[in-house]
Amino acid sequence: MRALGAVKRPLLGILGLLLFIALWKTAYLFNWAPRGTIPDPFAILAALKLELANHRLLPAIGQSLIHYVWGLGVGTVLGFAVGLLAATSRLFDQVHYLLARVLRPIPPLAWVVFAIAWFQVSHAGAAFVISIGVFWVNYFATAAGVRDVDPRYYELARAFGNGGFLRRALTVTLPGAMPSILSGMRTGVGQAWMTLIAAELLGVPGMGQEMNAAAGVGAYGAVVVYMLAISVIYSISDGLFSTVERYALRWRP
Amino acid sequence: MSDMGFHIESLRYRYPGADTPIFEDLNFSIAAGEFIALVGGSGVGKSTVLRNVAGLIAPSGGRVRAPVRRREARPTAFVFQDTRLLPWRRIRANVRYGLTGLGLTRADKRERVDEVMDLTAIADLADRWPHEISGGQAQRANLARALAVRPRLLLMDEPFSAVDALTRSRLQEELLGIWRRLNMAVLFVTHDIREAVYLAQRVQVIRGTPARIVFDETVPGAGTTVRSDPELQSFTERVAGAL
Repeated sequence: MRALGAVKRPLLGILGLLLFIALWKTAYLFNWAPRGTIPDPFAILAALKLELANHRLLPAIGQSLIHYVWGLGVGTVLGFAVGLLAATSRLFDQVHYLLARVLRPIPPLAWVVFAIAWFQVSHAGAAFVISIGVFWVNYFATAAGVRDVDPRYYELARAFGNGGFLRRALTVTLPGAMPSILSGMRTGVGQAWMTLIAAELLGVPGMGQEMNAAAGVGAYGAVVVYMLAISVIYSISDGLFSTVERYALRWRP
Repeated sequence: MSDMGFHIESLRYRYPGADTPIFEDLNFSIAAGEFIALVGGSGVGKSTVLRNVAGLIAPSGGRVRAPVRRREARPTAFVFQDTRLLPWRRIRANVRYGLTGLGLTRADKRERVDEVMDLTAIADLADRWPHEISGGQAQRANLARALAVRPRLLLMDEPFSAVDALTRSRLQEELLGIWRRLNMAVLFVTHDIREAVYLAQRVQVIRGTPARIVFDETVPGAGTTVRSDPELQSFTERVAGAL
């Protein structure tokens, strides 16, 4: 019975995918959108082959990864550091909380104008925009995680000679806040992809720019190829991160 | 010969913002190897006394005089009521937690941890996570962590209050065995009079607002293994009267 249940879920998942493709094909055949803007789902494989043959897909992925990794890295490190400071220093918390309240609601893409002005259309500009979204996610996750560490563990640390800043941070604060910190990092991994494509649509080399160029000549099949490439890369990165997260938090029930 | 006891002198503690101290004028000594039970009702400040003695909070008045610190040991060690095992450390790492900064080599630490885990019968739980063990086993690990630092004074804050009656009885026997073997002083806080009388050589009752010690007597025939001993029964009634 349990075995049947285990098989049922993926089978239903595949059925859902097939239904979606059928719906897509119907939309293509009956022109539910302006003619030519919905590609034939059965032509996507050919579009993929064409993008590979023209040496566009892999270089575009490589270009995107450059600013993705930089933006994600810088945003994560700064978000973690500032979040940690906000949760551990009352003075810093008081000095920055109003500023954070003003800046937080500004969407990362609103910074594109300044990114272009300061960094021109470059990897650095795209990384800058990506890092802003990632920064806030990690900032809030780290600050909340550190604040939520059970204060009784700090008393334990003091009672057993681990009350100094470094020992306390290493044995209580960081491991105690780790579930929240890792959850923030994982959200940041996804958030970075969303901002990345939007930033690239403005001209920074990468998959977003290729999508824009393909759409410009009506090659919507190629657009879908890049969309699926993003989905695959995101799934791989999220899967890897989830493995790391499971290992780091293996102590949880 | 230097004095190896702890001396609590005119100890007073007032919580920040409170009008009156929770306790005041506490005066008593704990001789080397002595087992004292401190009994009192809920909220009377028993645990706060322990925290003052452990140096976890600074007293509002008076002082705690501790003997000269031994090498590779801590003067006091705390056994918490809620076990407080760090969930992200395996049991062995939890037991080792207090050994940092004592100048021990890695081999010394390993030897010490092995020794106390054997003593508390948790050697086979070394690689488990805290959520994988029972309440009684967690209390043993809590005790092992405290014993590992070889304290002169073991401070125990109602350590058996959250376990079932059978486990509690077994843990009490084990604690007595360990205390006799290691010859360290114990200050044991409890609200259970029978537990206090059965375990300790001396029972103190703390009561009032601010609380003071209103009863401080040696248990007659301390060390008896018969819980129904008539002398203990009579003493128990006198402690209850003081409470």
